[in-house]
Amino acid sequence: MTRTFRQALSYLLAVGVVIGLWWGVSWLLETIREREILPTPGVTFAAAVENIGTLASAFGTSALRFLIALAVAFLLGLPLGLAVGFERRLDQYLSPLIYLLYPMPPVALLLFLYLAFGLGEVVRLVVVVMALFFQVVVAAQGAAKYIVPSHVTAVRSAGATRWQIYRHVVLPATLPSVLTAARVSVGLGITMLYIAETKLGVLLGPGGGLGRFIEYYTFRGDISLAGVVGLALLGLLFYVVLELLERFLCRWKFVGARGGA
Amino acid sequence: MIEVDGLTVVYGRGETSVPAVAGLSMEVDTYELVSVVGPSGCGKSTLLFVLAGLLRPTAGRVRVHGEEVRGVRRDVALILQDAGLLPWKTVRQNAELALRLQGRKDSADQVLADLGLAGFEKRYPSELSEGMKRRVGIARALALQPRVMLMDEPTANLDSITREHIQNLILGLWWEMGFTGVLVTHDMEEAVFLGRRIYVLSARPARVAEVIENPGMGEPGYRGTPEFAAQVAHLRQVLGGNGA
Repeated sequence: MTRTFRQALSYLLAVGVVIGLWWGVSWLLETIREREILPTPGVTFAAAVENIGTLASAFGTSALRFLIALAVAFLLGLPLGLAVGFERRLDQYLSPLIYLLYPMPPVALLLFLYLAFGLGEVVRLVVVVMALFFQVVVAAQGAAKYIVPSHVTAVRSAGATRWQIYRHVVLPATLPSVLTAARVSVGLGITMLYIAETKLGVLLGPGGGLGRFIEYYTFRGDISLAGVVGLALLGLLFYVVLELLERFLCRWKFVGARGGA
Repeated sequence: MIEVDGLTVVYGRGETSVPAVAGLSMEVDTYELVSVVGPSGCGKSTLLFVLAGLLRPTAGRVRVHGEEVRGVRRDVALILQDAGLLPWKTVRQNAELALRLQGRKDSADQVLADLGLAGFEKRYPSELSEGMKRRVGIARALALQPRVMLMDEPTANLDSITREHIQNLILGLWWEMGFTGVLVTHDMEEAVFLGRRIYVLSARPARVAEVIENPGMGEPGYRGTPEFAAQVAHLRQVLGGNGA
């Protein structure tokens, strides 16, 4: 209880520091350049309240889009990564392919993706999925490569099938690293989401998302900045959700000698 | 009954192949407990993995209860060197793991209680002492009610008090449950304490260098007797002469 309280307090403190810094920077810029450059937290908050309807709907759209992309990236990337990391033969043949494709930024392929998938919801999802997919694959592959052999022997000696080895050893052993990797790639994912929503959407309205919202209000700094704050909060939300998911699914990591960190 | 006839295991193929076991033959009677000792890295564990059906022999025959071993058998249980517990499963889940993998719904609670682990069912391995972890590993094997028990250095890296506890436990279980057992160890006292016969293996590739009869084995008090000390001394001599 005390720990939860202290953690909440430290988050509040962080929010305070960020707002303070933000305020300081916008005051400094205004003093030096003698005009408003970065809207202050107060002005931005007021703009957010004024446009709360549009902003909330854009946030909801982006959150849903990111959730779907993350889920698809996991559903496709996790099995592939685990299999490539765990099955030596697959590792041999597929690893070079993955490493060739992994560093390729999907942003550079926007034109082709747009031509291939059209200017709709699908292409926006594809861009975000592509970025997250490789993160998940590489993390899962790396973790599956270093599974403790005696854990596999333990289930094999009881007659485990291949599927049971994955279910009882490979998946739970790698889940902590995969979830950590997912958390780390939230930042990248949000960036991709922003790009997908600004470059691959035309209208503001339902389905626009935060990227479109920010782009649309380019010349209204306060409203635009409110959208940026929304994007940051979206990232934080997924970060926290993934951390809670890790605490729930990997409870064993947080008990015993290592202590509840 | 376990019969091993001319067992040869070679790892890898071609020029890089490494022979681990070369023409090893041994026999373990039903309800007999034998120990296998040998220089480290000589192929003791390989032998055990073949008996467990995890590894295919390159040549030779291995039979358990008269049937050729072609894979993992349900009446054979393996206790691993460091217990091989899965850190993400609780004590109960670990103890019932082998049962569940075989689609059996039996509970391991009684076995856990018998091994003094009652009350720890919901703990994770990282919360247990080393000795308790080994007992969970033993519980996982016992829960299967196996006819053959294969043990790979079940007391390695334990302090001497815990080691004797686990050794006494294994001896007690053997009396109680009457399994056929093969115990691989590098601890000479353990080999003498738990082996009705002691198979001394040669350096890699493993063959049987000598078989020591050890009729005094079977009581916890054996440890304090002069025969025990003499057997250990004899074993030490045999192993020493064997290039260990």
